Amino acid sequence: MALNRPDWLPRALAALLVLTLLAPVFGWAAGQVGYAEPLENAAETTGATEHATAIGTALFPDYGVPGLGGATGTFVSAVVGTALTLLLGAGIGHLLGADTDQRQ
Amino acid sequence: MHIPDGYIDLPLALLFGALAVVVLSVAAKRVNGEISDARAPLLGVVAASIFAAQMLDWPIPGGTSAHFVGGAFAAILLGPHLGALCVATVVTIQALVFGDGGLVVLGANVFNMAVVEVYVGYGIYRLLVPYGEFRAAFVAGWLGITAGALTAALQLGLSSAFQYQLLTTLSIMGVGHLVLGLIEGAITASVYRYLARARPDLRPNAAPEVSA
Repeated sequence: MALNRPDWLPRALAALLVLTLLAPVFGWAAGQVGYAEPLENAAETTGATEHATAIGTALFPDYGVPGLGGATGTFVSAVVGTALTLLLGAGIGHLLGADTDQRQ
Repeated sequence: MHIPDGYIDLPLALLFGALAVVVLSVAAKRVNGEISDARAPLLGVVAASIFAAQMLDWPIPGGTSAHFVGGAFAAILLGPHLGALCVATVVTIQALVFGDGGLVVLGANVFNMAVVEVYVGYGIYRLLVPYGEFRAAFVAGWLGITAGALTAALQLGLSSAFQYQLLTTLSIMGVGHLVLGLIEGAITASVYRYLARARPDLRPNAAPEVSA
């Protein structure tokens, strides 16, 4: 089964690499100033914060890697998450592809 | 906008989870067999770029942060059905692998970001595109994320953890994202304009098989 690789793919992958390299930089900057999303503000205002629970254990909690430093962990998480999403998304795209049914 | 477990009452979480499953199932049926092999990787690339972009938290003076969500962007570039599947993929990986957003409320998070933001954003884009693609993309990104936030606020405000303070959640989430959404709109419009000029073959009208 030969896959038709589009010519824009190498540049797109390079752009993804740049985004993953930026992730630890933005994480550091946000950590320096302190920040909250509107959801967190709403939870604090209504006293809901204490109701937040974590069910199950994430492999990379809070986009970090247990045992690795903040920036390194964020970078590894960015690479793993981006690669996983890329593969899963492309897989779904291929499953929904026009040629899939015709090949059966 | 990723709601953790414990914030939404179980019946609401199940209801919106079921709605998300129904919409995504219909979306998958609508595009099944319609994507060429050449365009299949685009779904993966757009999903991966949204994941990576969501990791970039922009610190805003005043103690608030914003990050690109990408629902309207995915809808404009891929069409609404494929866009919904794309964002759902991102939100699911974020919850399962990174603990960003709860597991019980995963369906609600998917509904807010992959259904409401995507379809509202796309509807606004189609409505405004006669007045200019760039303007339409900007407003789609801006109001799309605001619509998703208002839906989340509705779920939170009707839940016991938030003491049923619906007006409070609607005002904080709605106003907050109405302001932060300007960044979403700017990124949506800028990236779309760049792609439309650099690679016009990736525009939806160049690939009607993945459009609405």
